[in-house]
Order: sequence, then structure tokens, then C-alpha cells
Amino acid sequence: MTKLQNRRNILKGMIGGTAVTVGLPFLDVFLNANGTAIAQTGAALPTVFGTWLQYLGFNPGRWIPDRAGKGYNNNIELKVFDPFKERMNIVSGANYFLDGRPVETHRTGAQIATLGGIPTGRDSGPSVDSIIADSIGTRTRFRSIEVSLMGDRRSYSKRAGAAVNPSEPSPDALYKRIFGPEFQDPNAGEFTPDAKVVAKRSVLSAVADQRHAIMGQLGASDRARLDEYFTSVRQIENQLAMKLEKPAPLPACHVPGAKQEAQPGEEVAQVSTNTKLFADLLANAVACGQTRVFNVFMDAQGARKPGSTNGWHGYTHEEPIDEKLGYQKEVTWFILWANQVCAEFLTTLQNQKEGAGSVLDRTLILWQTDHGYARTHTMDNLPVITIGNAGGRFKTGMHIPFSGDPATRMGLTVMQGFGVSMSTWGSLSNQTQKPVTEILA
Amino acid sequence: MKGGLECYTHLYKYWYISTGLRLPRGTPVIGQGGEAGCRVEGVIVEARTLRWILGAGVAGVSLFIQAASANALESRSYVVSYFSQQLNSRDGDCPGGVNPDDQAGQYAVILQGLGYKPDEVKAMMAEWAKGGDGEDRINAIVNARAIIDGQQVNAYTHPEATKDPGLKFVTSKVGYGFNLDGKDGEVSFTDPQTGEKGVDNMLSRAIGCNQNFRGSWDAPSAYGEWIWVQLKDSQPAWLITITGEDIDKDGPVTIRLTRALEYLKSNLDGSPRHFMTYRIDPDPRSHNEFKAEIKDGELKITEHKPLSLLWNALSSPVLNLKNTHLRLKMLKGDTLDGLVGGYQPWTEIYFAFSHNGIVGDRPGLYYAMKKAADADPDPKTGMNMSISTAYRLTAVPAFVVESPHLRYQSAEVK
Amino acid sequence: MKKVSMRVKKQPLLKAASVGCVVAALAACSPASDAPAAAKPTAQAAAGFEPAPAAVPRLTPAQYRATVADIFGPTIDLGGRFEPDMRIDGLLAIGSSGVGVTSAGMEQYDAMADAIAAQVVDKKNRAMLIPCKPASDKAPDDACAKAFLSNVGRLLFRRPMTNPEVTAYVGAAHAAGTKLNNFYDGLAMSLSAMLSSPQFLFRAPQVTKVANGQGVLDGYSKASQLSFFLWNAGPDVQLLNAAQKGELDTPKGLERQVERMMASHRVEAGVRAFFSDMFHFEDFEALRKDNLIYPMFSRREAMDAQEQTLRTLVDLLITNRADYRDIFTTKKTFLTSSLGAIYRVPVVNDRPNGAIDPWQTFEFAPEDPRGGILSHASFSALHSPANRSSATIRGKAIREVFLCQKVPAPPGNVDFTLVNDTTVYKTARARLTAHSKEPMCAGCHKITDPMGLALENFDGSGAYRTEENGEPIDASGTLDGKKFNNSYELGLALHDNTSATACLVDRLSSYALGRKPAKGETPWVEKLKADFAAGGYVVPDLMKRIATSPEFYRTVPPAATQTASAE
Repeated sequence: MTKLQNRRNILKGMIGGTAVTVGLPFLDVFLNANGTAIAQTGAALPTVFGTWLQYLGFNPGRWIPDRAGKGYNNNIELKVFDPFKERMNIVSGANYFLDGRPVETHRTGAQIATLGGIPTGRDSGPSVDSIIADSIGTRTRFRSIEVSLMGDRRSYSKRAGAAVNPSEPSPDALYKRIFGPEFQDPNAGEFTPDAKVVAKRSVLSAVADQRHAIMGQLGASDRARLDEYFTSVRQIENQLAMKLEKPAPLPACHVPGAKQEAQPGEEVAQVSTNTKLFADLLANAVACGQTRVFNVFMDAQGARKPGSTNGWHGYTHEEPIDEKLGYQKEVTWFILWANQVCAEFLTTLQNQKEGAGSVLDRTLILWQTDHGYARTHTMDNLPVITIGNAGGRFKTGMHIPFSGDPATRMGLTVMQGFGVSMSTWGSLSNQTQKPVTEILA
Repeated sequence: MKGGLECYTHLYKYWYISTGLRLPRGTPVIGQGGEAGCRVEGVIVEARTLRWILGAGVAGVSLFIQAASANALESRSYVVSYFSQQLNSRDGDCPGGVNPDDQAGQYAVILQGLGYKPDEVKAMMAEWAKGGDGEDRINAIVNARAIIDGQQVNAYTHPEATKDPGLKFVTSKVGYGFNLDGKDGEVSFTDPQTGEKGVDNMLSRAIGCNQNFRGSWDAPSAYGEWIWVQLKDSQPAWLITITGEDIDKDGPVTIRLTRALEYLKSNLDGSPRHFMTYRIDPDPRSHNEFKAEIKDGELKITEHKPLSLLWNALSSPVLNLKNTHLRLKMLKGDTLDGLVGGYQPWTEIYFAFSHNGIVGDRPGLYYAMKKAADADPDPKTGMNMSISTAYRLTAVPAFVVESPHLRYQSAEVK
Repeated sequence: MKKVSMRVKKQPLLKAASVGCVVAALAACSPASDAPAAAKPTAQAAAGFEPAPAAVPRLTPAQYRATVADIFGPTIDLGGRFEPDMRIDGLLAIGSSGVGVTSAGMEQYDAMADAIAAQVVDKKNRAMLIPCKPASDKAPDDACAKAFLSNVGRLLFRRPMTNPEVTAYVGAAHAAGTKLNNFYDGLAMSLSAMLSSPQFLFRAPQVTKVANGQGVLDGYSKASQLSFFLWNAGPDVQLLNAAQKGELDTPKGLERQVERMMASHRVEAGVRAFFSDMFHFEDFEALRKDNLIYPMFSRREAMDAQEQTLRTLVDLLITNRADYRDIFTTKKTFLTSSLGAIYRVPVVNDRPNGAIDPWQTFEFAPEDPRGGILSHASFSALHSPANRSSATIRGKAIREVFLCQKVPAPPGNVDFTLVNDTTVYKTARARLTAHSKEPMCAGCHKITDPMGLALENFDGSGAYRTEENGEPIDASGTLDGKKFNNSYELGLALHDNTSATACLVDRLSSYALGRKPAKGETPWVEKLKADFAAGGYVVPDLMKRIATSPEFYRTVPPAATQTASAE
């Protein structure tokens, strides 16, 4: 314990923001009982944002939960997510609005989901993940990590402009990129307190007295209201103080061993194998503080079973609806397979333990798709799903019918929940100022 | 306060007659206000197309005045909410089997047509299925199947440069449509709704053994649904206006089919929205008027002139029908459901199919339609250039407006 | 974009405007030649008037936005979100005077303040918004910081900053600028602290000329009260200057400013804010309809419905200075094509060159039973559940919103099976009659249902219908002895009901004060009501009377032992 006291004193003496060089061992003792916060400072482990863009939607009538609100029961096609039900929110009835523009199949939906609208040229605004990365990803080694499950380099993660952040299709290559020779032990680093935090603290203390002078103008009941205000200000000051402490060591961080990847491609076995590898890599990357934002691109239109001549997309248009079943058999096989792949991805994040919690506990993943019903390229009755509560920043376990509201409401909600100062997102009829307040904690 | 044509053009948009209230014809109305401070008096003439008689004090507006006959007219307008080829697919109506619906199946047929032996074809398709370079190689062979003078050409724009794969035809005798030539024959249908014999719908024979075109009255075809959902939110809508003395009773009416400037407006669940307002596109290529008759809640046109409606780039630039027939049931809730048919130039239909992978073997469909075509023989070659067809059409109530602001300007260079 | 002005403006334009107004008085300024001289500025309060403690409202989201846009321009993105408002005694404006700031709310204010300040000092804005340049970009510059902060502070705090305040905020900018080696970052931090300070977020009035326990708001507090009332925004530079020169303390000076503000287009924002509050339009945020039953009613139509009514009110009451009671009968309104689909009327967007103008004026025909605010979807759809109409909810709303009458809440154990049985009782009238046979229920339902049943021609989405489940709808009833056969005639009955106009005066005066007038202030409210009636119920005149009445600014200083006003 003595060592800790010395650390504090050293830090206090260096409030001007110069570097502090104190190495600390990996010790679980720094986490609190739940593994969610750092024992001494009370600061929570950093939140993580992920996206999962999965093409070709679901079958109408087979995915919408049975009731609105909490305590819903999953429909057939989402049953595989039951282990995560309490940590998920499922939106039904969302819309992508075209405002009269023709739909570029499989593209327009993804654009609206990630960019908030249909760009009129190659240039566009930043994607959701990019906006969040600007807020939470500026102090990690990678601002964000993009992976593609189908062996290509495409993605919808982009900053404003024309350039897209390309996806990594190979787990091997991603491993080398993250844990190769440039990997640095996050627990051995030097800590530089953020100068902006130091400055803000000094500003707040400089004006505190003058702010307090308002009390002299008020009667008793109004003073009680302002008491609440000043208490809230003290909360902010506490948060700032915590930010000046060296961030907790990351005891869950260890460099994973390299595993054999499958040839990146579109056969279902390859995709399943590589997704597991990606999941493992991303979980470790997060545990080692390498990134706080990741994007998973699953355009599985070309997904095929070995020996089969047709792929998922071909089946959506070419396979007849089975008269007895009421749906397309092969298409449905692929829907269930893709959801299984996603569920296994989540399981891996959940198995990456941090204290008594896991990486999934401090993550929120935004799941979106390109069409409501792939067979006819509908842009209505869409699902939007969130998985995880980002360390308690979001409430979960609800089915929220949107009744035709723009899907962008969820993107806005998620951005606000991650602390982005944003009151409106999207363009034309996809523009919204209405976050899903039910899930904002 | 002013009157006159100037006032009319300012005021028409402030006027309305609420069909939900069924105000009787002859009810005097006064409109006033508008930017120019106008006041116009008149009587209700038509219910859902904004035209009306202008009363005393208005001069020189012969373009817009309707003759005030003793029998003043009512009209109702609609916007088309579904349009696609209407088939009557049944088990066993393709005795040769349904044509391969998937790309792989089509490719196998194509490769055989190019002369490869069955086991060779099997090996090539296995290679194709693996994807990557193998797939590219087989694609290249298939795409190179169209040769003119030793040069490879695009098979879809030069279908006659490919070998006819011999697609199967529908052989059943029950199908939707109209008797266009007044004759009955071997390839005619009997319409299951009207019982009419000698029904001509050769297009349905030509395409009906392709999986994505198969459908019935209650179950739209995959192609029909796909193309409608794709385009309904962007293509300019089609409009219908029925005008007559009393549309709720049997009697003669006129029906206008025009095109709107706006696209069909939908509710948030994708269903068509009732009672939106659409402006008629002044382009004369989409102005059609037919005499018709309402009997027992069904409207049938009694003159069989040509029909022309601008369409879209994915289907066909123009819907051209000759010897047009139309029947529409007027349903509860004031919606329309029925059939429009006639002879359509089949090369224009091929244009729509040619850039659409979902339809099946496209050059094959070219050959099929060419064989099935049953009207308009080319004077030189004798080949029939039009094919009989029938399209399903539904419509929901709408307000249709003619806007004096809009003028049609031809693109001709003078 | 409002430039932050360093000089005190001379006001020749204002003088000319008042002269012009007097000259044109007969035509435009006061339409009714026999209007009483109620607008004459006077320093005399009504007889028997006793002032009460002033309210300390928290800025509403709209006021916060307006302030930022006024000072820094409309391109500044707020980011962030606001805590919900609270409705007390029928108004959110009164609730604003009862709320503090929670920690979640404070986080948002803090984040918004940071975001706004960052944009203000941003390279592309700083040339316009900061009137001086520092000696060096990389170090604090107290002179420039003082020039900027004291000017902005005057607008944000709605009064000149005190010397200690200036010292504190300039010192803060200095400390931050030093640590960050950047003048602009330091300045932004100090500005951010201003934007999240209680002096900005709360409107704490200053009381002067205290004698016998009574006093008057000081000039700046008057400016705030006036400006938030008429424009729903903080006082602009002209108003602050008038306060500074003591002009608001004289009846003539006060009247001049009131007239300037009433003549400005900005009064529309104030009127909209008031009616949105009075008519509970914030409920539109949460309004949801069952889309299987009402496929044409989505969030867009909900927002359009709200806008339709606000445009109608502004056009009728402000632009045309009509009798307030005409809101219950006016045939003229504004529609978009989506609203046209609900009302089943054609609404054409037909500007030349394809320009889009989604709002069109529309007038219902004389023989059309629709007309008046009760026939707007903003009323019938807002006051219905998701899947049907509700005569009881609508009747209650008419009582509480338009007549300021209280309807007791229903008991917790109401059995709704009768109300939902549409097989035996086909119309709402039949169902409610059966329900009200219970003597316990009849008492309250007698208050609400007769009026609500007159609106049964409007379904839950605001669309007009003549029958329900096959049976024709009977929309007749009585209100305080006046018979009506349909919703329009109900509108006529409300038109003649004295509670309606009294209610408006009560609401408007409470809204302006940010609190319910105390008992001692009743003589003032009664006088307002009398003048309102005598003057033909013209709302802008009522606003002006409130704004120029001395009672509006009389108050008592805050006491240490002051207790919360009784509910």
C-alpha cells in the first residue's frame, strides 16, 4: 500500500502535466469486485463501440419479438441470440427513406445505416463509427479496426470525404498488425495527464466563487434548486480529478498465440473459422487497450455452401418460396447461419474475462442490415439491433417498435450514449433529432 | 377583388371538393383569397379532379371551362398501386419442366448448347461453383457465346448471335387476359374470371415456364414483386381518372390514364397511401382517354385504341399497347383491381428483360417471345412484331390535379 | 448572425419607427378606432395590488438555442440534449421555475458548453465572433480575453458582468491558456464555463427600490422578463442598452421597447412558444399511433399537425389580429400533402421551377363542418390513444387546456371492458353512456363527455368520418346550456364561453411571470381580462398590456425564510 501513496504524491506534484514514469505490476487487485472499475479511483474501464453490418436481412414474420418493451421473447430467426437477450435491444419497423431517389440495391441501405443518408457523389460525411471514434478513439493506438468476414476489403467505415477505411480480410494479417513487432505493453507505458483536463479544472476553480454568488439573490426554495446544481457541478469536478489519475493497468491483456487462419473467402466454413479468429483478435485488442472501436463487415451475398452452385443472394431472388414452409429454405439456412456466426463472435467477446466481467460487458455493438426483405429489396420494416450495454451506459433487454421511424434514430442514440455532442443526425427524411430515450441510461 | 383566368390559376389550389363528404353536384361554392386577392364563384362539377365551372364574371377561359350541360359530371381519381404481367401458373402447365431459374442451371444449358458434352459440363460447373479464377473462366466462355463475324459481342444486346436454348412454353388452357382478335384457337386461353374464350396472352406462354415469372391472381410473381418494390418509390406514378354522371351506378363513363410528376406515396409500412395529391405530367405521350362502361361494379373500356404511358428505364421506357382492353373492378374502400391488355411490341419487352439477371436466360426469352409473337407482321419479313399480353393493375384513391403552371415543351430542335 | 457589438448604438431608427407608427396608427397600429387607451403607459398599479416574489426559471431548450444562435450565429451546432421540462399548474413555464439541474443534466450542459465554445474559437468562426486578436496565438492575452468575455458575458448573463466576475473569467482564460499554450483554447474553456454557469442557465432577478417590503425588478431583470415573454429569447443588445440607460424604468421608455419587440418578426417565436406550452404540444414527442389502424399517421404527420396549428394561430391572431375566440371557428389553415391525405383534401405543391413549398394555405368550405382548432389533427390526434378516438380524453383536454378547468383524475380501478366492446355498443357515445350509468362515473364524465362526443367525427388520426362500426355518429350535445349539433357548433359555443377568454389571460400572465400570480396580484389579472374583452380579444394587445403594465415588474425581495409556493 505504501507504494500507492507514493504514486499519488508524485502525481500531485506533477500537476503541470509532465510525464510520470511509474511502472506498476499486473494486478487484479486494482479492479473492484465486479471487474468493472478501478478500485482506488472508481473510474470505469473504457467503453467500446462496435458495428456489425450484415446484408440480406431476415424473413418477414420470423424475427420480430413477440411483444414490445422488456421481457420480450425472441422469434425463430433470432433465437440463437437468447443467451444475450438481456443485453440486447431489438428495433423493428424501422425505415430507410429514399425521398424519391432510386434504390441502389444492397448499397443504399448500407449507406443510410452508416452515413445517415444517401450521398450524392463519392464524398459524404463521416460514418457513425468514425464519429464515435473521434470521441473515444483518440487515445488508443488504433482509432478503429475494420475487418471483413467474406475475404474482401470493403467497408462502410469512413471519415468525411471520399476515402473509406478498408477492411482487413485476413486474420493472420490483422494479428501481425496488432500484435506484431510494433505492439507495446500497455501496462508499461508512461502516463501523460491530459493537459485539457488540467486546464479545465483550473478554470472551474477560478470561477467557482463568482458562480456561487448567485445564492445571494435567491430565496430559500430557489436556493435549494441551485444546491442541486452545485452538487452536479461537483460531480463533474470529481470526474475530472479521476481523469488525472493514471489509467488502470489492463490485467486482462495478454498477447494471444497465433492461430491458423482459413483461406479468406465466401464458403461458409471459411467464414465461420475466420470469424472466430477475428473475434479472438478483437477481444484481445480491446483488452490490451489497442482500440475502442471496431467494425465488422459481413456482406455475405456471395456466401455459399460447398458444392452448391448458388450463393445466398442468388437464392434470395431465384429460390421459390416453399409452399408448405412459407419461406425460402436455402435463404433461411443462410440467415440462421449468419446469426450463428454473430452469436459465436459475441460469445468470444464474452469469454474474454476482465476481473469478474468481460470485454462484452463494456461494449455496445450496433447491428444493421441493407434491406428488410432481401427478396424484394424492401427499405421498410427493418431490424436494428444493439448488443451490449457499454458498461452500463445503455439500458437493454427491450424490443422497441419504431413504427416507421427512420433507422437513423438508433445511430443518433448510440452516438449520444457514447458522449458525442450531437443533437441531430442524418439527411432529408432520414434526419432525426429523436434519440431512443428508453435505452439511454 | 378580381376574377378571371388569372384568378383561376391562383385559386385552383385553394379549392377542393371533399369526396369523403359527397357534396352533391350543383352545390354553389365560393373561393376567395389567394395571393392575388381573388374571388371566384361557381358550382361543383367534378369531385376529385380539380376542374369546375366558373360562374359569371369570368371571361375567356375556354381551356378550362366544362360545358354546363344539364347532366353535370362527377369524377374520381386514383393512383396505380401495382402493375405487372399477370400469369395463371399451375402445376403441370409446363410439361417440359420449368426452365432453370438459377444462373448455374442456365449456364449448364448454355454450355451444352455450345457443344460441350454432359460430363464436361458437369466438371465446368463444379469449377464455376468454386468461385475465383475458375468462375471467371467459365463466365468468360458463357459471355463469349455470342459471335458475329468472328467477333465476340454482348449476348444480351445481340441475342440472335446466340443459340436458341429452346425454352419451354406454357401449355395450359386457362389464363387471364382478353380476346384481342375475336378468334378462338389452339393457343388461346379461357379467362378464369370472365369465362371469356379465345383469350390472347402469348407473353404469358413465352415467359410462364421461367420460375421468376410464375404467379397467380393472389400470389404475385417474384419478378413482379421485385421490380415493383424496387421502383415504386422513385418512378413517376400512373394516374386514373373516371368521369361520368354517377360513378356509383351502371352507365357510360370516360377513363383517363395519365402519368404523374410525383412518385407513388406510401405509408411507412410500404403500403400505398390513399388521398395524396398528384399533378399530371403535361407530356402528351402519357395522355390517354377511353370511353368505358360501368356494369355491376366493373368498368370496361368500350373503345380499343392504343395506350401509351411513359414508364421507367428498368422496365421499358414506354408502355405501348395496341387494341387496348381494360377491365377494373371497383371495390369496397374505393380501390380498383383489374387487368389491362393488348398487343405490345415484344422487342420493347425484351429491352426490359435484357438488363435483368432475375428473369432467366435472357437471349432465350428473346427467342421465346419471337416465336410466340402473334400480331403486327413486319411487311418485309412477315415476322410478328407484337405479342398479346395482359397486366394486372391495382389503384387506390388519390387527388389528381392539372396544373396550369406546367407547360410541356418538346425537345425537338426547330 | 448577430455581431457582438462593442459600441452602444445610437437609436435614430427606433425614433423614426415610433413616429411612423403614430402616423400610420389609424390604419395599422391600432385597428379598432374605439380601442380603449389601455396601451397608455402608466406607473399606477391596479387598486389593491400586492406584489409577490419573482420566479427564477431555468432556461428552456428553445431559449438556450435561441440565445446561442443570437450571440454566435445559427451555424453553431449544440450537440447534446436537454433534460425534460416539468409541467406545473398547467404550464411548462411554471415548471421551469421549479427545477434544478441533475448530474445527468449537468453533464449535458457541460458537454454542450464545450462543443459551443470550441466552435466559437474555431478558425473559421473566430474572425467573425472574436473582435480582437491576441498578441500571440500561443499564449494568453488578458486584454483581448477581457474584451471578448465581458461583451459576451453581458449577453449571456443578461446584464453587465461585475468586476469580480470579469476578473475571475479572464483569470480562468489566462490559467487555461497558459497550460495549453494556446490563447483560443484557453478562451474557449472560460467561455464554456460561462455557458454552464448558473448565471446563464437560471434567470435570477435583481430587486431594487425596496420600500415597505416591496420593490421593483431592476432594469436588466425587466429586460429579461420582457424578452423571454415576447421573443422567448434573451434580451438583445438594444434592449440591454435601454436597460442600462434606465429607459425601462420609465413608462414611455418601456413602451418604446415593447412596441419595437412586438413589431419584430421575432414575436412569432414567442407566440409559438406560448401556445405550444398552453396546448401541451410537447406531448407530440411521445405520440404514437397504431400503424395498422392509422397507416397514414407517423411521426412526420404528428410534427406537421403541430406546425399546422401553430401557423394557423400565428396567422390568425398575430398577423391578422383577429379575435382570440375565432380560434374555435376559423376555416383557414395551412397544410402539407401528408396532412392532405389525412383530411382527404388535395394539397398541391406547385411552385414554378419545381421549388418545393410544402405548406399551402387551405380554407375549408363553409358547408364543410370542419373549422376551428378542435378540428385540427393537432387536437384530435394528440388527445387520443394509439388505436382509437377518445371522447373523454378530448373533453378533459377542452376543459383543462382551453377553459382552465380542472377535471378530477379517474380512479385507479376503472373497468374498461365496456368501453372496448364495439359489438354491442357500436359508437363511442353508446359505450360511454353505458359506462356512465355507474353513478360513481357519471359525475366526472358529465364534465368531459358531452364535448368530447361532439368530436367523434374525428378518428384517432384526425380524419373525418360520419359513422363508426356502421352506425352514424351523433355529435350533438350542450355546453353550459348552449346546444350544438356538431364540432363546428361546439366551436361556436366555446367562442361564446367566457371561461375561454379568461383562461387565455390566466395562462398568458402566468407564462409571462413564470409562476401563477399570487392572490395579491389578482386585481391586475382581472384588469387584464376586462381590457382584453373591451378591446375585442386581440392577443397582441393583451401581450402589450402585460408587457407594459407596472404590476408585471413589481415584486418583493427574496427572503431567507421564503417557502415554496403552495401547490
